[in-house]
Amino acid sequence: MNSDAYLWLTFVLLGLATTLPRAGFIVLGSRYALPATLQRALRYAPAAALAAIVVPDIVLVDGAIAVFNPKLAAAVAAVGAALAWRNPWLPFIAGMAVLHGLRAL
Amino acid sequence: MNASQHGFRDGAREGFVAFLPVSVGLIPWALVVGMAMTSIGLTPLQAMGMNIIVFAGTAQLGTLPLIAAAAPLWLIVATALALNLRFVIFSAAIAPGFRGIGPGQRWLAGHLLTDGVFATCFDKLQRIDDPAWRLGYYLAPSLWTWALWQAFALLGIYAAHRIPAGWSLEFMATIALLVLLVPMARVRPMLIAALVGGIGATLLRDLPLRLGVIAGIGAGIAAGFAAESWPSSREPS
Repeated sequence: MNSDAYLWLTFVLLGLATTLPRAGFIVLGSRYALPATLQRALRYAPAAALAAIVVPDIVLVDGAIAVFNPKLAAAVAAVGAALAWRNPWLPFIAGMAVLHGLRAL
Repeated sequence: MNASQHGFRDGAREGFVAFLPVSVGLIPWALVVGMAMTSIGLTPLQAMGMNIIVFAGTAQLGTLPLIAAAAPLWLIVATALALNLRFVIFSAAIAPGFRGIGPGQRWLAGHLLTDGVFATCFDKLQRIDDPAWRLGYYLAPSLWTWALWQAFALLGIYAAHRIPAGWSLEFMATIALLVLLVPMARVRPMLIAALVGGIGATLLRDLPLRLGVIAGIGAGIAAGFAAESWPSSREPS
């Protein structure tokens, strides 16, 4: 784990990396606009980034790809619950239940 | 009371009423983010500090695994930027709604911009004339979001301290990221961006400095963009 000062530095930089994208155009006003092509490309960044963080976490076990592992099965259950129902709690209940159920076997 | 205070109050009331049902959805996220911050070993003070300074669920959840793994700082920040890029688009889209409003209030509005508030307020901010009304209509849901977010993250932080480590609470953060991904990936180019991003980051995991994450994101953006222009132009008309 990181030192305390390093963590706070991280938080401040993350804060800037959040507030500047959010406030940028609101503060500048409508005088400036992004090129349309760049806007279209940027729309894919959040989905690509979320998957780039999550997928390695659920398909790797000790650094090797494992097609059958409790985390991947739990992820499938959570995604299934999110697709099937609008209840915001169900993916968590389904995912955690599958994770613990398979680990208990 | 002068006319502009009237406008602000009326706007604030209407904005709050419009946003209240949407805001219920924030509660599980705030709880999960609070629990996730605790699960990687942040103290309650550090966790609340992060929650107040960063104030962005996706960027917080997405960078926690990197912080826990002591990834290089630039990679953590670059990942947060990638997760926040959607706000550049939201900010550009909603900017005309702040015509006639001063820079201080614009900074505050920008700092508080969230997905739910953007979706709720975007339309009315373009159509209503009175700047005071617009500011009220935007700030009431924004400040309510802020208050809910801090309160339920704090609850999550303290709940997590009472739950044994064997329960793998950190996996809640993974589920939360997946749940954010599901509605995005309903559109095909977005699904392709996610698949390429995820598979790319997995295959490139042995790159030094965890560069595989950034490479995966870049490949995902390129693939999504390519998928958007490809099939539609080839479909028989």
